[in-house]
Amino acid sequence: MSTLLPRLRSGIAGLDDILGGGFIEGASYIIQGQPGAGKTIFANQVAFSNILKDRKVLYVTLLAETHDRLFQSLSTFDFFDRARLGRDITYMSVFQTLRDDGLSAVVKLLRKETQRNNASLLIFDGLLNARDTSHSDLDVKTFVAEVQSQAAFVGCTVLFLTSARVKEESPEHTMVDGVIELHDELAGVRSLRRLQVKKSRGSAALGGFHQFEIAATGISVWPRLESIGSGLEDKVFHNARVPSGIQGLDRLLGGGVPSGSVTLLFGPSGSGKTSFGINFLQQASEEEPALHFGFYETPARLFAKARAFDIDLEEKHTSGHLDFAWHPLTENILDKLAHDLLQRVTRNKVKRLFIDGLGGFERAAVYRPRLVEFFAALTNQLRALGTTTVATWELRDIFGPTVAAPGPEISSVVDNLIMLRHVELESRLKRVISVLKVRDGEFEPIIHEIAIGNQGVKVALPLQPVAGAATGIAQPLEQ
Amino acid sequence: MAVIVVAEDEFLLADMLVSFLEDAGHEALAAPNGLAALEMIRSKSVDLIVTDYMMPAMTGLELAQAVRDNADKKELPIVLVSGAQASIGRAHPGLFDAVLDKPYQLGTMLTIIEELLSDGRS
Repeated sequence: MSTLLPRLRSGIAGLDDILGGGFIEGASYIIQGQPGAGKTIFANQVAFSNILKDRKVLYVTLLAETHDRLFQSLSTFDFFDRARLGRDITYMSVFQTLRDDGLSAVVKLLRKETQRNNASLLIFDGLLNARDTSHSDLDVKTFVAEVQSQAAFVGCTVLFLTSARVKEESPEHTMVDGVIELHDELAGVRSLRRLQVKKSRGSAALGGFHQFEIAATGISVWPRLESIGSGLEDKVFHNARVPSGIQGLDRLLGGGVPSGSVTLLFGPSGSGKTSFGINFLQQASEEEPALHFGFYETPARLFAKARAFDIDLEEKHTSGHLDFAWHPLTENILDKLAHDLLQRVTRNKVKRLFIDGLGGFERAAVYRPRLVEFFAALTNQLRALGTTTVATWELRDIFGPTVAAPGPEISSVVDNLIMLRHVELESRLKRVISVLKVRDGEFEPIIHEIAIGNQGVKVALPLQPVAGAATGIAQPLEQ
Repeated sequence: MAVIVVAEDEFLLADMLVSFLEDAGHEALAAPNGLAALEMIRSKSVDLIVTDYMMPAMTGLELAQAVRDNADKKELPIVLVSGAQASIGRAHPGLFDAVLDKPYQLGTMLTIIEELLSDGRS
């Protein structure tokens, strides 16, 4: 039978999920990364989070930077509490001990200080400096081995911070229980911070890269969505249908939108996707809380647009039945978007979700080949939460034969497909709607015209029989 | 010329203060922690102590308590320099004769030291 080892929570949002529950108590970790990667912030955030749980922390440096400079930069973070210094967290430099008496004296000092301060977390900042000490009487691997064994003896967790990249075959890497690497690099013109657990003994850590950011609250890591097992069961009652809110559409869908399903609504700019969303969200109620998760229109613009249809979304919002999350298309973090979405859906028990649109997630993806797995994970979670989702996808061409749906893989992770198009017919533009797929259900395959006016989108009459309507350029049928 | 012990674990700060005090005509001895400073005070004739708070082996507070408990050395002037624990030092006026917040002006430090050396503990 597997045993869950006691954990020391990191206090870094998202990290404990990646580590399989946090650091293992009494274990040793190397935190590595180039200067500026965020190691010191990482370690101090862990430290200050743990003193809130009545733990004592010993922070030992081998750095030239003075502690006052360190405190000055840490004072810009919310977690830093100057009043705790010297009481619950003790900073000390052992540079002189190393210089005068060598690494073995440092080992001895650390043992005494860990006991004297009753520390359950020891942070050693500057392993690289220890390695560079040429006249050392002890090599670094022996130093790491001795420090971690004496710390483990008293149940003290150790974080060794180093700017050097500890190679996988190096003795230090072999000896410690975990290695976490922080990266700060460029992806095109944007900065990209990523964390990777390179070794995790005793824990099933989430592998691969996870993006993180540094803000006034400290570090937040966003576990790659597709690397997380949902642990949720699909609770959807497949036969249940919910009203779409669009007059005439429920009949085409075979009785409404399947409850707990994911619908992809695709069409070019101006084809009526946002208006569709307004009608869909108009159904928000106490029993069916709703969320608009968008990248384009602000809530104020959506309220105004809805008012033009004589629909009062603002009242839905004020009464708490409709939430808005607007993420302008700036430098978004893909997994942060997904975690924000899922957190809101879970917290507000959202039953009706409109995502406008999936392109906002695509723009945030630094590594686009993962999008299929990402959308699969996201839609699986939404289904498991019992949320009925409509997500838009913008077609590039307003007219023309190209219908670039988000690719066959992404189309296959959604349950229902609805296409909106402009059709040019005899010098007149018509907006049309067609249902292409309803998972496990009958649907009306005839293309219908839609009208956008008072009360939003309405499905009107079937489009007159023409050839090529789906391409946007229709031709009268040959007689 | 006075003999001054500087108890400071951060070597850059210790080296700078030692050089400054030597330039001012004093003999300055650096100790990397409170315990090393206490041993110096016991074995040498010392006139004044400048100490940090957070240090290995013995804190500045513990050093001051040990000095005040020593019948021969209890009248030694002690200056605490600290970035974050100055308030702790000020809460113990019987232990410390002056408390300076880091970063401090070297001129201010020297003025305080000269006054304590000439007037003693008041």
